[in-house]
Amino acid sequence: MKAKILSTLLVATILLFSSCGEKTDVVESGTYEGTIKEVEPSKTEIYVETDDNKTLELYFTDETELTRDGSTVDFSILEEGMRVEVEVKKEGKRLDPVSVKVLE
Amino acid sequence: MEQVPDFWRTEVLHSLAVHFPIALLIVAFLFKIVALRYKREVWERGGTVLLGLGVIGAWVAIFTGNLADGIVSKELCDPTVLKEHENMAWTTAWLYTAAFLIDGLRYIKIPLFKNKIFLIVVILILTGSTVLLTYVGHLGATLVYQQAAGVYTPSPDCSEFE
Repeated sequence: MKAKILSTLLVATILLFSSCGEKTDVVESGTYEGTIKEVEPSKTEIYVETDDNKTLELYFTDETELTRDGSTVDFSILEEGMRVEVEVKKEGKRLDPVSVKVLE
Repeated sequence: MEQVPDFWRTEVLHSLAVHFPIALLIVAFLFKIVALRYKREVWERGGTVLLGLGVIGAWVAIFTGNLADGIVSKELCDPTVLKEHENMAWTTAWLYTAAFLIDGLRYIKIPLFKNKIFLIVVILILTGSTVLLTYVGHLGATLVYQQAAGVYTPSPDCSEFE
């Protein structure tokens, strides 16, 4: 009986832990609007939650254009909660950000 | 002409660090199973020492993996595998850490913690963790062998090696 309770607790714990962590989605190439959910400056990476509740994980490349009011800006201005428009190109299941426009 | 990159690249540190905790944690699990049957100190304490070393190694692997992530993600064809590898690795490291802490309680001189039930709890957590560890390792291997994560691909004519 005790073993059954312990096993159930163990499975529940593993499921709880497994549900943690960022889940990301893969979308088709195109332009999407959304909100920045997380910024990882050391990896020049952002997570964008689109208006249809998809989470896009975007690693900036050397070609990624980041603009605000039409001017090129530095990655360091990006913050959680900012509204952005991103144009992504799907390569395999990787999403390369072609351009990111800050909308505010 | 293309040049062979330096071997000591940031993304290589993860593959150098990750195999120690894998071996240590699996052997720690086996020691604890044997300890359940044969109550000799060597299995008990040996398992705890291996578990402790394995937990330290697991967090080093998480740290180096995080460094590698920022470099290899930009080149993978399916970074969702890396994300799964990363999420599962965190889960696995926390579970092993929990098992180590619970196991540590058993060395405190309080009768409650001497109960065999604590050893069973540790073994149950280690069972789940080891299953996850195998899965994490499998994902890591697919990243390397199917997507060449962190791997330098020589030019077709190998001219950089001349």
